[in-house]
Amino acid sequence: MVDLSIILAGFGDAFSVYNLLFVVFGVLLGQFVGAIPGIGPIMAMAIAIPFTFTLDPLPAIAFLIGVNKGGLVGGAIPAVLMNTPGTPDAAATALDGHPLAKQGKPLKATKMALFSSITGDTFSDIVLITVSAPLAILALRMGPVEVTALMVFAFAVLTGLIGKSIAKGVIAAALGLLFASIGSDPENYTPRLIFGVWDLYDGLPLASVAIGALAISEILRRLADAKGTVTSAIKLPEGGDPADQRVSWAEYWSCRYVMLRGAFTGTILGALPGIGSTAAAFMSYAFTKAASKEPESFGKGNIKGIAAAESANSSVVGANLIPLLTLGIPGSVGAALIISAFMIHGMQPGPLLFENQGRLVYGLFGAMIMANFVNLWIGQVGLRFWVKVMAAPESIIFASALLMCIVGVSMASGGLFGVAIMMIFAVIGYLMSAYGYSIVIMIIAFFLGPRLEISIAQSLALMNGDLTRVINYPVALALLAMSVVAVVYFLRSNRGGDSAESE
Amino acid sequence: MTNSADRLSGALFLLFGLALYFAVIPAYVEIAEDGNIAPNTMPNILAWIIALSGACLVVKPTKIDAISFGQFSRMAAFVFVLAIGIYAMGWFGYMIVAPVLSLVIMAMIGERRWVWIAAGAVGVPALIWLLVTQVLDRSMI
Repeated sequence: MVDLSIILAGFGDAFSVYNLLFVVFGVLLGQFVGAIPGIGPIMAMAIAIPFTFTLDPLPAIAFLIGVNKGGLVGGAIPAVLMNTPGTPDAAATALDGHPLAKQGKPLKATKMALFSSITGDTFSDIVLITVSAPLAILALRMGPVEVTALMVFAFAVLTGLIGKSIAKGVIAAALGLLFASIGSDPENYTPRLIFGVWDLYDGLPLASVAIGALAISEILRRLADAKGTVTSAIKLPEGGDPADQRVSWAEYWSCRYVMLRGAFTGTILGALPGIGSTAAAFMSYAFTKAASKEPESFGKGNIKGIAAAESANSSVVGANLIPLLTLGIPGSVGAALIISAFMIHGMQPGPLLFENQGRLVYGLFGAMIMANFVNLWIGQVGLRFWVKVMAAPESIIFASALLMCIVGVSMASGGLFGVAIMMIFAVIGYLMSAYGYSIVIMIIAFFLGPRLEISIAQSLALMNGDLTRVINYPVALALLAMSVVAVVYFLRSNRGGDSAESE
Repeated sequence: MTNSADRLSGALFLLFGLALYFAVIPAYVEIAEDGNIAPNTMPNILAWIIALSGACLVVKPTKIDAISFGQFSRMAAFVFVLAIGIYAMGWFGYMIVAPVLSLVIMAMIGERRWVWIAAGAVGVPALIWLLVTQVLDRSMI
């Protein structure tokens, strides 16, 4: 157990003006970069890490935490205003955020995203600070069989997003898994579906696939619909009802259970390596839609849809640090970057971290708390500015976004090959969207695919190929039972929604 | 609203799944003896899932608004321009190609105001270059 004096000393180290400045700069950079489609906080962190080499560990990590947290808030802005998520995590936010913006309430939508994001983030930070060690031990006890069952559960929950056609949802998931299988087979490392292109041996770059299918495909759709007339990327209402431009306390309070469920979902998933904030956002969204008395209002600008997605995806950031700090296992790409920054600055994440460098860890927790307040403050002021930036003519917004996506993906994937992959997935995403196939299901399946396959292989090895031995794994059995319940529940909900629609 | 779009996409996925199973996977997945799952197991299962789901879609389509030929053509035109631009960046570099690419895209969208054209074709590429190479000290494309 860490001594109270170390905890207080850590917080004392964090709460200095010097560290606050780095947090402010990080959040500002994160929000700005997150608001630019195609760049995102991961890219910003990857680029920023070398610039922190000369700093002391605490301000350096505080800055990176600021970039990460600010990026999640910023990522919601293009999702809401342009239906072009700045980060894959924000794709769920766009489902209701963009329709609300189109109804002339862009500031209400972005502010709800901001408030629910900060709420979810603060919740997960409190969980991280108070119960990080016990939760991480629980996650550590999950073996391959339990992880496989967890993956099955994640796919079962995805059925909540399928919509009218089960066949289309299944095809989208199968395509995602198929794309994930390109590269090398995870057991034998033999080349698989690379067609002689050895650049594909490490698999398709996630940045290329996600940005191509989510961002560029949406830009292409908007460009194809433009028909030579220049309009703003988003039309901001002139004047209008001031109530449409803010979130009242009553509106915020009406979403308290939605945000709590989202924060809880994000925290649990964030503590389990491999699931990530995109899955958390969509799971929370699906739960909220299924639990709502008005499920038909989701996707049409329901403020609770924004609250569900943002509270969940932001709560993953804090929870990701639970396995990272206590086990040294990164739960996401962002956490992997943070772990590399920790190691550069002399922190060795793992079970002994709290004992050996407890003061620095609690300094980090202090910086996270500061980053939440700063995120709220800069968000309140900055949102108006980011919204005005997005109100420029779509000719310059889309041309700039395309250039930034090209440059960003080129830097992330190490050259133009990744950009070419991005363009291929832009076309695939455009066609899937045009014919009613869920891009989001495809992306999540793509992200989960490699881990699913390796978990199945490890589970089969553990059970000697005898699947009936799963009865020896009660946690896995419970997860599989929950998967069956989730599939039945979501399919019935979808059918109910459809029949209501047809009526 | 029509269900012919679903029939078309379903038929394409049916063919795609069958082609994967019978032609692509046997040719492009190496067989390994060791391991608990053969390298072609997952792709084969997915190929059948895609083919069967495609067949289901042909039999039981939903009604959707299909994209028009005009929309598809405009999308294809933008993809063509972007593909040429990306290819050209590999030869001539970002600094020469990015302003031209930005200018062409803005012109295709219909932008004719010189202030916005200047901002998009000169200002934005220059800002990106400044950020990446001067501020971040990273190499451009």
